[in-house]
Parts: sequence; C-alpha cells; structure tokens
Amino acid sequence: MRQKIDPVIQLRGLVKQYGTGDAEHNALDGVDLTVEPGEFIAIMGPSGCGKTTLLNILGMLDRADDGQYLLDGNDVEQFSDNRRAHIRSQQIGIVFQNFNLIDHMSVIENVALPLTYHGTSRTKRLQAASDMLKSFHLQEREYYMPWQLSGGQTQRVTIARALVNQPSLILADEPTGSLDSRSSHVIMEELSELHQKGNTILMVTHNPNLTSYASRVINMLDGKIASDKKIRVAVTASSEEKIPLRSVKRPTKDDKEADSQVPARRRKRKK
Amino acid sequence: MRRLLFFDHLASAIFSLKANRMRSLLTTLGITVGIASVTMILTLASGVVGSVSRQVEDIGNTIAVIRPGVSSNQLPSVIRPVSPQQYSTSTIEEADIGIVRSVDQSLLVAPIMTIEGRLTSLDGNIGNGMVVATTPDIAKTTSLPLQSGEFLKPDSPSHAAIIGTQMAIDLFGTDDPIGQTFTLRKQTFTVTGVLKKMKNPINYNNIDFDQSIIIPYATGKTFHGGRSQIQQINIMASSQDSLQKALTEIDKKIEAAHGEKDFSVISGEAIAEPTNSMFNVVAKVMAAIAVISLIVGGIGIMNIMLVSVAERTREIGIRKAVGASNANIIVQFLVESLIISLIGGLIGVIIGILLAYLLGALFSFMPIITLETLLVAAGLSVMVGVLFGLYPAFRAASKDPIESLRHYR
Repeated sequence: MRQKIDPVIQLRGLVKQYGTGDAEHNALDGVDLTVEPGEFIAIMGPSGCGKTTLLNILGMLDRADDGQYLLDGNDVEQFSDNRRAHIRSQQIGIVFQNFNLIDHMSVIENVALPLTYHGTSRTKRLQAASDMLKSFHLQEREYYMPWQLSGGQTQRVTIARALVNQPSLILADEPTGSLDSRSSHVIMEELSELHQKGNTILMVTHNPNLTSYASRVINMLDGKIASDKKIRVAVTASSEEKIPLRSVKRPTKDDKEADSQVPARRRKRKK
Repeated sequence: MRRLLFFDHLASAIFSLKANRMRSLLTTLGITVGIASVTMILTLASGVVGSVSRQVEDIGNTIAVIRPGVSSNQLPSVIRPVSPQQYSTSTIEEADIGIVRSVDQSLLVAPIMTIEGRLTSLDGNIGNGMVVATTPDIAKTTSLPLQSGEFLKPDSPSHAAIIGTQMAIDLFGTDDPIGQTFTLRKQTFTVTGVLKKMKNPINYNNIDFDQSIIIPYATGKTFHGGRSQIQQINIMASSQDSLQKALTEIDKKIEAAHGEKDFSVISGEAIAEPTNSMFNVVAKVMAAIAVISLIVGGIGIMNIMLVSVAERTREIGIRKAVGASNANIIVQFLVESLIISLIGGLIGVIIGILLAYLLGALFSFMPIITLETLLVAAGLSVMVGVLFGLYPAFRAASKDPIESLRHYR
C-alpha cells in the first residue's frame, strides 16, 4: 500500500489569510502537523479557530497562503489542477459539514458520482454505490432525492459518497454535526471500522464524547494547534478501555429504529 | 488518461435542458433559423448547378465557354458566386473570336454581348429585359428553337431581331409580333423570329431568353462605339475529343495574344457554376441572413450557457470536490451547448429543405439535396455549438472549488 516511513501529511507553518487591510486575519496561523498512515485524528476547537479551513486545504479544495503541505512527501503547491483533481478522485474522501449533495440527482447517483470521475462504467458505479448504501442501511432510500431524507440519512449518504471510491485519506467535517448522540455513534462506528481497516481519518468535531474513537486528539485555537495528544487506544489491542463507553451508547440492535426516530424528531420541530 | 465520460455528460445535459424547457427551446430556435437558411441556400444552389449541368449534358459535353477574368477555385463558388460582369469592361477582345475560329474551322462560336437600354414599341410600350448581341451560332450552342419566323443568319439584315415569348407579350401584347418594330437607343429593329417558351431562367449563358431580344453581333457593337464588350464566348465542337484538343490550343493562343492570363476557358461541369444574377442576389441575401442568425444564435447559446454555469456553481464545486478535473467540467458544459446547436441544426435542415422545395416550385426548378449540404449544415451546427460553448465551459472549469461550494444554491 503506502511506503512505510513516509507520513501521509506533513504541514509546516501553514498560513491562510482572509480579508484585507484592517479586516485581515489569519484563519490558520502557522500550523505544523504530521499525520502518520492509519491515524484517526479528532480535531477540536471553538468555532472560527480554523478547523474547516484546515480540512479544506488538506482536501486540496483550498490553497494555503504560506507554509508547506506535503502529501505523501510531495509538495502540493507544485501540483497542477489536474493532478489535484486526480488525487481528490483517487485518494481523498471528503465528508462535508453541510452535506453538499447535488439536489437534482437521486441518492444513489450522488453516491456514485465520485466513481464517474474514476471512469467506472455506469452499471458498476451504481452497483458499488448500492453496496455502499447497503452498508449504511440506506438500501431502501436509493432512489429518494436528497431533500426527501432525514438529517441522519443525509449525513450517512454524504459519508457513503466520501467512501465509495475507497479513499485512503478521509476528511470529515463535523460528520455528526446535526445528529443526536445515538445517530452520532452509528456514524462513529462506521468511521472507526474504516480506521481499523487502515484508513487515515481526520475528523473535525465539537463533541468531546466522540474523541474517544480517535487515536489522537488535536485542539486548535486561533489558527494554531494548542494541544496534541495521542490516545493509546489501538482499537484492536487494548479495547478494554473503550468497551464500557461504547457499550453504553452503541445503538445495539437495529438502526432502523434509530432512523424511524429521526423523522419523528423533525415532525416535532416543524410544529 | 481518464475517459471523457461522454454519455454521463449527455445524461446530465439532457436533464439540465429539460429542466429549463422554454429556455432551451428559444435558444435552439436561434440556431434553427441560421441552419435553415444555410441548408436552403445550399439546396437551391445545388439545384441550380444541377439544372445547368443537365443542360450541358443534354447538349453532350461538347460546349465550352471563355469568360473574362480568372476563376478562382471551385469551393467558394456557392458562397461567393461569380459575379456577372455586365457593367465592367471585359478582358475578352474581338480578336479572340478570330483566334477561336482559326484554331478549328468546324467550331461553332457565339460571342455574347449584352446591351443596356430602353426598349420601346410603336405603341409606346416599354419592355424590360436583356438585349443580346450575338452570332447565329447561339441557336446551336444553347439550342434556341423558334416558335415562328426564322433565326438570324449570317446575311440577315443588320436590324433584325429575335424576341423571347415573354418579352413579346410585354412589348407588343402578342406572342406573334413578327414584322413589328421597336426602338433601342434610337435604332429601330424589326422582329423576324419568336423563340419558343423555354421556362429555363437558369442557364450557363446567364440570360433568361424568354425575357430577351437577340440582335446581330455587328449591330450590337455600334452601341459600344464600334468596340466589342464580350461577356462570354460560347464554343461548341462536333465531339468531346475535338473540343478538348481545340481548347488547349485556344487557351495558349489567347494568352499569347493578351500577354497575360486574364480570361478563363471553362468546359464540362465547371460551366454549371451559378452565375445567374437573380440567383446571386438571393444567395447573397440568404448567406448574410444565415451568417448573422448563426452568430446571433451562437450568442444566445453562450448567454444561456453562462446562466446555466452561474446557476450550477455549487454543483460544479461538488463535482470538483469529488474528483472532477477541469477537462471533465469543460466537456460537461460543451456537450450541453452542442446538444442545443445539434438539435437546432437538425430542425433547421428539415425546415431549410422544405423552404428550398417551396422556392423551387415557385421558380420552376428542382432543388437537389446533396450529402455535402447535410455535412456543411452538421459541421456548422457543431462549430457554433463548440465555438460559443467554449467560453462558458472554460468559465465553469476555472471556478475555484471552495468558492463554488460556498455559493448558495
């Protein structure tokens, strides 16, 4: 798979500025970070501390104003637009905070979209998307339109889309942002499973409870990394620590039950 | 390299066009008008060429003409037909007739000289038409059968005239005006023969003989102060072989006499170039309409595609975020503009052909649909679609992914 020694991501003094003149401020103000393959990093911090900006730059959607970003040892600044697109297509899966599904395409088409740019044939694409949706218990929602889904379902569709091209690097921006704690843990279970399979995951979250799934927690403040601690939980080895926490909150049986609760919640909200 | 995903883009384009049905329809219409005019012109033009070449074939490919000026290559002849040089000074000299005769005594030679002027009958009727001064050989090179009277002969009186049927009716109110007289620029002519009705306004002489008067060549010269002003020289040989042999020699001799190549010797198919002035005017007007409406239609496409790109900024951002390259985005939007122009083109071709047949019925000749016409129409459609779709497509592709994702809807 990957070369043994190379870190996936190396950031050196990354700076991103917004605004000009008096309004100028640094969303990122000299971020240094090294991510080894197979890490599950939770990024925490108050809003406006630059978490999302950092993920956007890591996903090559945005460019840093200063500093260096090495992906697999290559300087991203040197990449052509084409190469960026290629890497996004082959290597990176992004889960957006605000979902970013295409409104006029059905759920399955949305999930299959990344494979389109792989050059996968339509039939195979839809098959893969269908399989992916099945693993998120959404097989009955395949031909729904995005606006017909509940918040939790939309969130899972977004994750399914991020994973369908089997990326090695997953960038998730508040993947549980709009969910109740039960649904949140369903999603976290999925991510943690991917982590066990050897994927590298960077996840932005506000919820301190969820950091227990991560192998490393980074706190950001004012565009800088304030703290960075590794949690010694290899999920496979010393799972004892985690079992109590998970067994409490894990939605043990059927996720459908969890699903059915979401629309109920929404109905209440409408009133 | 990754594939261009043509079929995926096709599906997405069709969806987008259907979502804005009225908008797509109106944009398509612009292209339809342009392609319809192009198709109509080309179909009419090949009809004209076809009817002339049929005449040439009927006579047996033993005809050649000498025209002033050097004809350029064949391709633009439809778009920019040879202009009739009635008002300019011809480079063909009277001596050239002698040269042609000297090459081969058996050749039939008919120089054609047209004369401007008002035709007035004794009753005071004024006729509109062409006066042609030529030699009796014209009857054979163009096959002009008579309805009554007799054709010009080498020893005809200098002021004899042969009149076309329609002209006779206009000028004298009868189709049998033999013996009647009319004046042209103070000279009085007597009608000695009437041509049969030809219904053949398009021919290689560039003259509608139904609406013309033929007078002896020598008399014609008096209108030009004794000089000749030859529009073309018709040559007819007894066989194709002897014609070709004679032509090479004629070409050489006239060039030697002129000192430069300021004339063309045309035989076979090339004679069929549309030189009819009526057709020229129609073709030019139509070509202008076609070009303008194609440009306007193209601008319509560009406009609508820019709107579409702006509306779908967010979609573009999402597509890029999940791995679409700039090329993918460009092709996606190009396919959309291509579909508009191709559908517009298809409808345009059908309408153009229908119009051509309608006009053909009015002017009594058959339009001909050729493969070339269809290819040109298709090619123009593709060209307009690509040309005017490129800018919006590049604009779409150059959008910054993160900015696009922030775009509301």
